[in-house]
Amino acid sequence: MPPNVVPLDLRDFLCIAPALVLAFWGLVVIAADLGRFRRLDPDARRVACGRATLVGVGLALASAVFLAWVDALAQSDAPRLVALFGDSLGGYFARTDGLIFFGTLARGLAVDVLNVLFLVLLAMVVWMSTSYGFTDDLGEYFALMLWATVGMMLLAAAEELATLFIALETTTICLYLATAFERSRRRSAEAGLKYFVYGSVSSALFLYGLSLVYGLAGSTYFDAIGRVLRGGDAGLAGNLAGASALLLLLVGFGFKVSAVPFQQWVPDVYEGAPAPVAAWIATGSKVASFVAMLKVFVHALGPWSHPSGSVMGPGWLGVVAVVAAVTMTYGNLAALAQKDLKRMLAYSSIAHAGYMLVGVAAASVSTEGPASAGAVVYYLIVYALANVGAFAVAAWLARDKGTEAIADLDGLAGRSPSLAVCIVVLMLSLIGVPPFAGFFGKLYVFMEALRQGPSDTRIVLTWLVALGLFNSVVSAFYYVRVLKAMYLREPSGRPIEPARPALALPIAAAAVLVTVLGVVPGPLVDLSRSVAVPMLTAGRLDVPAAVDVPAPAPPAEKPSGVAWHPETPTD
Amino acid sequence: MANDIPLNWFLYFSAAAFAIGLTGVLLRRNAIAVLMAIEIMLNAANVNLVAFWRYGTPAAGAGPMPGVILALLVVTVAAAEVAVGIGLVLLCYRRWRAVDVDRYDTLSG
Repeated sequence: MPPNVVPLDLRDFLCIAPALVLAFWGLVVIAADLGRFRRLDPDARRVACGRATLVGVGLALASAVFLAWVDALAQSDAPRLVALFGDSLGGYFARTDGLIFFGTLARGLAVDVLNVLFLVLLAMVVWMSTSYGFTDDLGEYFALMLWATVGMMLLAAAEELATLFIALETTTICLYLATAFERSRRRSAEAGLKYFVYGSVSSALFLYGLSLVYGLAGSTYFDAIGRVLRGGDAGLAGNLAGASALLLLLVGFGFKVSAVPFQQWVPDVYEGAPAPVAAWIATGSKVASFVAMLKVFVHALGPWSHPSGSVMGPGWLGVVAVVAAVTMTYGNLAALAQKDLKRMLAYSSIAHAGYMLVGVAAASVSTEGPASAGAVVYYLIVYALANVGAFAVAAWLARDKGTEAIADLDGLAGRSPSLAVCIVVLMLSLIGVPPFAGFFGKLYVFMEALRQGPSDTRIVLTWLVALGLFNSVVSAFYYVRVLKAMYLREPSGRPIEPARPALALPIAAAAVLVTVLGVVPGPLVDLSRSVAVPMLTAGRLDVPAAVDVPAPAPPAEKPSGVAWHPETPTD
Repeated sequence: MANDIPLNWFLYFSAAAFAIGLTGVLLRRNAIAVLMAIEIMLNAANVNLVAFWRYGTPAAGAGPMPGVILALLVVTVAAAEVAVGIGLVLLCYRRWRAVDVDRYDTLSG
């Protein structure tokens, strides 16, 4: 690369302020725990560490909300920004199509909205963590949760494959460690190692796919890849390198979003990990992975979704459709047999991944264009909120019983009637019963899947939707078991104690949010759609200086979108 | 570049290394050997990245992120991953007195 690369714009750092605050605050929490909190007794120390962490999350949330305000203003009233912040900074903020750090990260309202979502979920998870003592290394635990979130934020903002890979690793490496944090139980260490082995193998597969994509397209930027692939003549048939790249990336993401047949780690890790960590793996990590998957598959590899025009021809659309069908069916059927609440939630999260994959498949062929991915974003938000609440219930059981059997919930309605109602709301939302947000999540995903022109993609996706509806009915059976335990059974043995605010508030907040978003789904749907459009189109590299580099003349007889030398065959 | 080793050789080499790594992960039961196999897979991808950087032409608007820099980043990530992996293996070793992944059987499934 020639040396005349544009210098780094220091203002870019402002746009990742929430991530920077969290990264720094992790160190603050460790230092505070070492210096001050270690002298307190275990319960007080846990609460103190948790509060210190929440302060950092609050600061990051404030910066994220501020950035969201600035970016919203940039879309509606850009001159005012210049008046408020001066020419340099105001003008910088007023550019709404910006990519930052040499085009590797996106900025703008879409990123801010996702950051706010991550931080709200993180606050609930951190709060839940203070409810019971599962580890003695509190400073390190909370710091790892903060750093995992840094990775998720960057993952959701990445516009380039290497950045995406590093963000993915930041997230998962922190989560491997956090999974193994439960001191008293062997299964936590085992879950950590299992998560590590599955996770790092999937990362290696992903990386190999990435290297092939880099070789084929000559770039790792999503937009550049998309342009190169669109330029080629339908290039996937007989293109072994392209097909293996596609398959390897799909396997990598399949692991991260827990799609069948790469789901083996999910139940074990969720069961073995401490409940708050399992909550963060099930929500934050999944949201970030799905956003990244949408970007890679719909934006960068979109031209390879079904290049020959038929779903079951070469291309990823047919594979994703089949994987979605198998994932939701397997997740729901396997969940029916579970007696452990966290294990049941693990299989249910596999099933939800299946519904969301239907949305991913639909987003690549919808007549609506990128806005159709808004359905997946909406589903992700709703799913994450309901699941954080459900895992808080698991944390409650773990605190008092040491296990998370569904039977431990017996008779809960008699002792904590209001929280029992909240749990009912969460379960109904996860099933997808109308007044609650989960229903609208499924409705929009399935509606987008049906919004196709008349073609064989429409037939395939209609079948997928029918299967999804059938699966929703199946899922009702295992979610209702929780309700049956709470309302129809008498407690045997020592009942669980009432929840303190650290548990009650996440459950109640999740239930309220799920209800409100279900009764008034409009604003969030609009927001999700407006998030999805820049997410899947952010492209123009604003590094004009890098373009005036005299590029070496490409060989004239360049074969189908392949950027390396033509004398090398593409096998 | 006319007298260089052709690109294909690098690709065959990296594909072979990747296959060896994947086989190791699937067949070896020793946790340390699994870690080493994962490293081989990551390095296979690195060979690819550097080879493509050396032989390929960047796409228009490819941006200033060449393959060698990717390879350096991957090396860093791999180091972090091994540090964490060894830590987890040690933790399990202390609980079970074994590094055989088949012996860790608290979780069903």
